[in-house]
Parts: sequence; C-alpha cells; structure tokens
Amino acid sequence: MDDAYDLRGLIFSLVEKVIPPILEGTFLEESTGQITFGLATFAVVNIVFLMLFFSQFAILWIERKAVARMNDRRGATTALRSLWVGENGVTAGEWWNMLPFGLGKPVGAVNKWLNKKFGNRDEKYPTVDRVNNRSWMGYSIFPGFFQNVADGMKFLLKEHMVPQRADKLIFEVSPFLIVSSTLLILGLIPLSSGIYATNPELSILYAIAIFGIAPIGVFFAGWSSNNKYTLIGGIRSAAQLTAYEIPLLLTLLSVAVLSGTFNIVESVHFQHSAGSWNLFLMPLGAGLFLITMIAEVERVPFDMPEAEAELVEGWWTEYGGMRFGMLFMAEYIRTYAACFLFTHFFLGGWHLPFQGLIGSIPIIGDLYLLIPGAIVVLIKAWLVFLLVFVWARFSLARIRTDQILEFGWRILLPLAVFQLILSAIYRLYLFDPSAMSDSTFGGTSWDAFGILFLIPAITTAIWLGIFFLMLNDEDKSGNTERMFHVYTDKAAGTYVPGQE
Amino acid sequence: MAQMWITMGPQHPMTHGLWTLRVKVDGETVVDTDAELGYIHRGVEKICEARDFTQITPYCDRLCYVSAMTWANSYIYAAEDLLEAEVPERAEYIRLIAAELQRLASHLMWLGAFGPDIGNLTLMTWCMRDREMFLDLLQELGGSRMHYNYPRVGGVKRDIPIGFADRMIAKVKLFERRIDEYEMMLDESTIWLVRLQGVGYANAEEMVAAGVSGPNVRAAGVNYDVRWAHPYSVYDEIDWEPSVEKPTSVKGADCYDRYRVRMEEMRQSCRMVLDAIEKIPGGKNSNYSKGDEMIFKKAPLRAPEGATGFSNYECTRGASQFYIKGGGEGRGKSPYRLSIRSPMFITIPFVAKTMIGYKVADIPAIMGSFDPCIGETDR
Repeated sequence: MDDAYDLRGLIFSLVEKVIPPILEGTFLEESTGQITFGLATFAVVNIVFLMLFFSQFAILWIERKAVARMNDRRGATTALRSLWVGENGVTAGEWWNMLPFGLGKPVGAVNKWLNKKFGNRDEKYPTVDRVNNRSWMGYSIFPGFFQNVADGMKFLLKEHMVPQRADKLIFEVSPFLIVSSTLLILGLIPLSSGIYATNPELSILYAIAIFGIAPIGVFFAGWSSNNKYTLIGGIRSAAQLTAYEIPLLLTLLSVAVLSGTFNIVESVHFQHSAGSWNLFLMPLGAGLFLITMIAEVERVPFDMPEAEAELVEGWWTEYGGMRFGMLFMAEYIRTYAACFLFTHFFLGGWHLPFQGLIGSIPIIGDLYLLIPGAIVVLIKAWLVFLLVFVWARFSLARIRTDQILEFGWRILLPLAVFQLILSAIYRLYLFDPSAMSDSTFGGTSWDAFGILFLIPAITTAIWLGIFFLMLNDEDKSGNTERMFHVYTDKAAGTYVPGQE
Repeated sequence: MAQMWITMGPQHPMTHGLWTLRVKVDGETVVDTDAELGYIHRGVEKICEARDFTQITPYCDRLCYVSAMTWANSYIYAAEDLLEAEVPERAEYIRLIAAELQRLASHLMWLGAFGPDIGNLTLMTWCMRDREMFLDLLQELGGSRMHYNYPRVGGVKRDIPIGFADRMIAKVKLFERRIDEYEMMLDESTIWLVRLQGVGYANAEEMVAAGVSGPNVRAAGVNYDVRWAHPYSVYDEIDWEPSVEKPTSVKGADCYDRYRVRMEEMRQSCRMVLDAIEKIPGGKNSNYSKGDEMIFKKAPLRAPEGATGFSNYECTRGASQFYIKGGGEGRGKSPYRLSIRSPMFITIPFVAKTMIGYKVADIPAIMGSFDPCIGETDR
C-alpha cells in the first residue's frame, strides 16, 4: 500500500500549477512539459538527497552513543538495558527527573521502579560504587549530535598532502571515484512510496552495479599511494569485495525471484500485497545479505583491508584532511545504504508492523496509518544499523584475510545458491498470485491450508531451530579442564606436567 | 611472487612500545623477521651505580611502566639479599598483596591491548575500567597510580590504610565475576577462537632453551613459576596454585593457550590476595605508623666489598632477575654493579622468529599474546 504522504506528487502538482501560466506566451511554451518535469525532479531529488544525507548524522550519533554505553569506562556491560535502567546509586530515573517542569517525572518514576527491580545494586559490595556507578549523569545526550559536524569541519582545515612518490593523478582521482559512486547509491533509495529521488525500473541491479564501482577506487587508492601498507590493504580489499559480491548478488537475485521484480519500490509493495515481510520467508537470505553487506562496507568483523593493528589504516593510510573525511563519510554512506536496502528488501520498507491487523481497528487504526512512511523506514534502518552493524563491530573480533575468503567462497556462496533455489521453489509452489491484495490489510499469498501466516511462521521456525542447533554452546567447565591443577599440599617445585 | 620487507615500527600499533619489527612478506605470508630493539635504552644499570639503595627503587619502578610494583619488589629482594636485611612478616604480606594487585592490573593492560590487536575495541575499554579498581588500590598504598616507590629495603614505605582490606576484598570479588564476563564475550565467540587457535605455536623445549619464562612457557605446559618453584616472600604460606596450561598440540602453545593461562593467572591472583589479606599478621584492619617494627626494620645502608645479592622474581611477564654487587667503602652507599635480567628482552627476538610461516594478520595476534613491554626490554 502506498504511503499516506506523497511528497513527490505534491511537488509535481505544485510545479505543474505554477509553471505553465508563467511560460504561457513565451518562446518556451512548447517545452513546458519538459521544464516542469525538470524543475520538479530537481526539487524532489534535492529534498530527498538532503533528507538522507542529514539523517546520516543520526547513525553516527547512534553509533557514538551506543558504543559509549557498550564499552563505557564506568560500566554498562549490559549496555542496552542500562540505557533505560541506570545502575547502582545514581539512576537514569534521576536524569529524567531533572527535566524542567517535571516533564520527565512519569518516565523517571518508571525508571526508578525498574532500577529498584532489576538494577545492579549489590548491597554486598557497597565500596565499589566508583567503578560501578552507571548513570546518565554527566553524559551529553543530544548535544553530542553536532559533534560529527564539528569533526567534518575540522577536516576542512587540515592540510592536503600527497606523498612525494605517489602516482599523483590516480591518488587524487580515486577518492572522488569512491565518494561519487557512493553518493549515487543514495539517489535511488526511497524513503517511502512518495518520497524518492529516482526510481528506475531495474533499481536493484543499478544499486549493485554502483556498489561495484568503489572497489576499483579502493584498489587504485591503495596502489597509487606507493606505500606497502596501503598496497596490502588495497589488494586485501579487492580480494574481499570480489569474494563477497557474488553471494550478495545471488541473495539479491533470490529477493528478486521471490518478489518478481528488480525494482526496490515494487519489491516493498510486493511484501505488503503478498502478506509477509521477506525476512520471514527467507531468514537465510537476510542473514547472508547482512553478512555480505558488512563485508562490502568493510566493518568489523570484516575490516581486514583497514586492519589498524598491522596495516595502520589500510588502504587510506596516506590520505589526510578532507580526502580522509570524504572517504570516511563514503564508508558510512555505504553502511547507511546497506541498512536501507535491508529495510526495503527484508523488513517491508515503510510498512508498519501488523499494519493490517492494527489498521482495521476503527480510530486507533486510522491514527496508526497516519505515521509517515519515511519515519518508519528511518527507524527501521537505524535499528538495523544499531542492532547489527554497531553491535557486531563492538563485540566481535576481526577475521583474518584467508579466513574471510574461505568463509566467502566455501560457505556463503553455496548457501546463497541454496537460497536462490529455495526462493524459486517458494515462488513457484507456495505462492498464490490470486491472493495478492493492495488493501490496507495486505494479501494472503503466503498462507497455507487456510491458516494465516503459516508459511512464514514455519520457515522462520525451521531456520531459528537450525540456528539454535548450530549455536553449539560449549561447556564452560572446559576452561578449567584445560589447566593442570597443582595443589598447594604438594611440595613446591615437585610437580612435573603430564605425570597425573 | 616478489617478496618485500615491511618495517613495522618504531611507531606502529602492533609494537606496544618503541621497537621495530622488520618483516619479509611473500604476499600475505611472513617468510622472515628481524627484531630491532634499543630505542628507549636509558642506562638504568649505569645510573644505579651512582645511587644509594633506597634511591634505586624509583628507577626500578620505571623499568616497566605497566608493572612497576613487581619490578621494584624484584630489586628490593636482591638488595635485601645483599645487605642481609630482615623483613617483618607483615611487610612481606603487604608486598605480596601489592605485587598480585599489580599483576592483575598488568594482565588487564595486556588483555586490553590484546583485544584491539585482534580487532575487539570493547575489550580495551572494559579492561581499562577494571584496571582502574586496582590502580586505586595501589594508589592507596604508594600514593601514585603508576610508579609507586613503595617497597623499602627492610619493609615497605607505609602500612595498608584502614579500610583498605574491605575495599580490596569487594573489588577483587567483583573482578572475579568480571573475568567470567570477559570469557563470556571472548571464549564463546567463534571469531576469537579461530583467530587465536592454531596460531603462533611456540614449542616448550625451544622456549626453555631460549630462556623464555613466565606465563608464556606455562602456556606450553612447563610448570615453572618462580613463586612456586623457588618460593620467596610468603608465597609458600598462602593458598594458590600456578596456572599451567595442558598443551593441546605437539607443536606447543598457541595464542589461545597463552590467553587462557593469563586469564587463569588473574583468577589465581584474586585467590592469593583474598587469602593473604586474611592471613596477614597484625590484622587486616590495623594500621601501623610509618617505620613501625611491624612493617619496617632498619637495614644497613652500605654493602661490604665483594658481597653479592641476587633475586629471582616472578614478574608479570616472566622471571626477572637482579644481580647486585656491593662495592665496600670505596663506593659509599652505592652498589658496585647492578645487573638486570629482563624476561621480555629474551622473549621478543624469540617471538619474532615464531611468526615465520604465519600470515601478516597474525603478527599482532602472536606479538600481543606474548605480552611485550619495551620499558623493561630496553631498560
């Protein structure tokens, strides 16, 4: 179903009302249609692009704040919970109580209760308050938002240096190759069915084609810097991106097979009309997409091309000033684009959860459907970024290059082929085209035996089961079994390993 | 494929200090290495020849900026051997507690540096957070967070303050739970395991032949802990056991073994301080004034000519040894010669050779797992 807010339609109708009377009688009258279209498109593209670009600050801010909680020097090992609960002594509730006019009192009271109930207050260790003091006190929450702007401004003031023996032309050109191709991705990401800059017929193919340009720039950058670290980083990057491009393409192909279209907007529409988000029909595909996307944007655990432990900063070691700033920005834009693509392909884009069920309730439903699609998309994308990209980055280690390649070629590629076959089977044998519906409720194409949501539920249950079986939680006592135990009742120095 | 030399250092994230590792790579594979040390040689041994025995302690603190207390203790035992000083038992217990707290702080520093080597930044911030607890405790003893100048020939500078015992017990018990938290994050992560297991094998015989000591050899199954084999201080009176890893491969210890052995050693240090604070003579909640007989006994200031002192001490990175020769009246209150045996000076060139055959990405993992500290290496 279309989003209630059609920004594109609004601007087009506005321009169509304003422009023709102006042009009437002039020599441009014949090309009124083209001029109208051009102006309206220009306006829409700029608005959408700026929306996407500035909302990108939000993910930098999200990463900063989430990470500050996750690896907080003062605590917060239970990062997400402590955001709301606060711990030991000073609580998050007190922060809410500090808001003017008692605005935060209700939240503060809830937080206080939560803290009392689940907080980490441990009466046994009252003296360790200093290290255990977990609170929002002293943290800047919203003021930190513009830190990223300040960082960007700082880069503008830095000197632009080119290494003496670098290949100067390629060295200067390659950041622009990377940045410009990355910005092009933003151009085709819809924020909702009414807010998008461009919507080519084959936008999925277009997105992937553009994603494939940047690796060339990366390789050029690594080679032209004339530095051994950047050279290794560039080659690692080329190998990694090539290896992960193929499973990514196959995963997207399986999305296209399932939804029967190569268009992003259409594929979102399909998920609604057919009655289930793709996530529940192809959990394997969603996992593959996320893994390959993390590898494509070179974040931990796949950040070998810029492994700072041995390669200093990888292929961009020699870039400084705004060149570095732009490369950094490009990396985040790619990450952001990956979050959007995941939202659209697997999380139903701008469709609210249980839109059909809640939307059918008389008044509440109408209000529910008034939530703008763009906000839904943004929140979904931010959640994907927070729960997948940020969380993985700050809880996992880095995989070695050969392990990355082995994982890509030997595991992801066969799984992607398997997912493609599964998608074809789903589309051919489990899909009921006659049950597609464009109403608020969505269709029932994936229901079986007259039971709602049966096929998505079974698929998800099977994959979750496989996932939990493969978790293979090792017995923790293995750690103590690994050690020799030498007890103090023996005379010192008499123990020889291997005798017991 | 063409081979090339890469110079990693002296300023490089992998080095954990100031030294140079030259690596010859064939693609991603390391084919040859060359360690260059000596960037921060300060001539501590020569400086000490012109200082009296109390003045030497701060210099020995500065030998290793991560583990100052153990190095100062190590020197003090050699000086006491030379001057034939008596040490009150309470002072020995306090020294033991201080050294084990320092060992905890040092191992946390190692783990915190090892995490970013593998790519896990959270580990660093968590370890820095917990290290803070032990630095606070050491600050209560020595008055400083890094270089304490705490032990004295014949005792310690001052007694444990009132309330120190409670604070220490609380923090150590909290930390014991935090170790479990670390293991939850690391040992259950397949990525952490595949990065460490089967990487950086170091054979026990080769390590012993080269002179590597400490947790690095215990990871290969060699039960050589100086505290256990030649107990000094009161290590034979308290309840603990050395952490020795069962070798899982005939090739020796891999990075994971070395990681495990240090985690276990942290547990043992916790056990040790908790036991020692209960057994301390004079009571854990009493505070004796500076220079009291319970914590300090006067020692002679001048060493006779020809007398020698020697200490073999388990520092956090291996066995550190001090050899001091007294100079008689001709040297006044200064020693004739002071010689330091640093475990890392022996280990680092050995590690450089173990890297051969592994990937470039394994270099930080292997180097980090041996816990290099350049302050004591170059001294």
